[in-house]
Amino acid sequence: MDFEALWLTLRLAVGTTAILLVAALPLAWWIASGRGGAVRALVQAVVALPLVLPPTVLGFYLLIAMGPLTAPGRLLMRVFGHPLAFSFSGLLVGSVLYSLPFAVQPLVAGFSAVDRGYVEAAAGLGARPAKVFLSVVLPMARASVLTSAVLTFTHTVGEFGVVLMLGGNIPGSTRTLSISLYDLVQDGNYAAADRTALVLVGFAVVALLAIYLLPSMRKVDGRQADIVR
Amino acid sequence: MEGRRTLSDKLPAKLLTVRMKHRVGTVSLDVEFALTKPWTVLFGPSGSGKTTVLRTIAGFVRPEEAVIMRGAEVLVDSKARISLPAYTRPVRSAGQTARLFPQMTVRENVAYGVGWDSKSEAARGLVDEVLKLFRLGVTTESLPRDLSGGEQQKVSVARAVASAVTTGGSDGALLLLDEPFAGLDMRVRDELAVELKEWLGERKTPVLSVTHDVSEAFLLGAEVIKLRDGRVVQQGPVGEALREERHRLIEHLGVVDQLPG
Repeated sequence: MDFEALWLTLRLAVGTTAILLVAALPLAWWIASGRGGAVRALVQAVVALPLVLPPTVLGFYLLIAMGPLTAPGRLLMRVFGHPLAFSFSGLLVGSVLYSLPFAVQPLVAGFSAVDRGYVEAAAGLGARPAKVFLSVVLPMARASVLTSAVLTFTHTVGEFGVVLMLGGNIPGSTRTLSISLYDLVQDGNYAAADRTALVLVGFAVVALLAIYLLPSMRKVDGRQADIVR
Repeated sequence: MEGRRTLSDKLPAKLLTVRMKHRVGTVSLDVEFALTKPWTVLFGPSGSGKTTVLRTIAGFVRPEEAVIMRGAEVLVDSKARISLPAYTRPVRSAGQTARLFPQMTVRENVAYGVGWDSKSEAARGLVDEVLKLFRLGVTTESLPRDLSGGEQQKVSVARAVASAVTTGGSDGALLLLDEPFAGLDMRVRDELAVELKEWLGERKTPVLSVTHDVSEAFLLGAEVIKLRDGRVVQQGPVGEALREERHRLIEHLGVVDQLPG
């Protein structure tokens, strides 16, 4: 098995999850707040786009945008000293965009389920919106935060199309586990492919168990708290 | 020690002035009143618009047309397109349903809106005092889901009280309580209402509460604003404003007394 690819995949998944959690929390709260009208609808559509777009399409556009063919690409090259495409940082950007819906949508669902009466109660005690979000909304939606993190992580681990388009297949730099599996099969090395596939299945099963095995995470959810009362 | 001054000695002439028009459901609200007493009760039958008035003052309802002032500070002026966000208003509120934060203990809930440095000795002392006032001493470390409905209601009001008396600013905060004693048994309510009124009076924190309970209004000896079908029909001391209701209540009790049994 390609341990270099495993290590790279883990770094990519952890990095993507960390970036997306920070970015998705405020974004999801804004979407769940119901303000913004048409702008909100547009943002929701853009966030959901990677769900329906072929990954190769996203990968293609990112490749162009990050390469020397476009002005933004040339600017990025000047800032980083090398093209973002075919590099780990480029892969990270691609993964963040590709996994965006998996991070945002569970959070939107979780935040929407928090009874607005709690937000009102906190505001009626003089709490600023940021305090209300951090001390009231977030703890009540923490099951959704876990779901969001796990889905983002596993989705990034399983990524193929974007990574191949954007990263090429450079060992140690952009070759992830799923691409390594593809290579192994192409080479007819089925024994190694089997082991690699098993690792990927392991990731998925453990992640899903983490979501379903923690009922305590669900109990403190806003909806449940209401039912308990 | 200096003799205790009552709240009205120190209060500005008008604690709060409200003029608002708003349609909600089948009720078309059109009210105008001013608060001048330490404790004022908005009295009226269900569906008369009491809660909407309270929620508008708190900043949770955006009225169609309104001017609401706390002393000289404008909270809402619909013509000038002014509407302060709820959390910046010199007002603290406890809604009809106790929305206790489920992951916090009773003590943490009560301390949530305290305006002083929450780790300070003074803040802790105050929270203790409020817990004691509301007879929540034995439940301080419990989570809301382990409380009875009445206890939850007390924590909800205690939380708003602790926040209101620690709010800074020129006039401090006005406390808005929607059915604060609902769900409490009569004996507890009677004691608590009287003690709370005195305690808040000492701290110069004025109250506007909502009720449809005649005896509660008399118990508080409050100024009463009577609401019916979205209009203010009377404002004055409880003995005057609710004379009719009191007679009716006594009549009912009299009938009960004469029942064979």
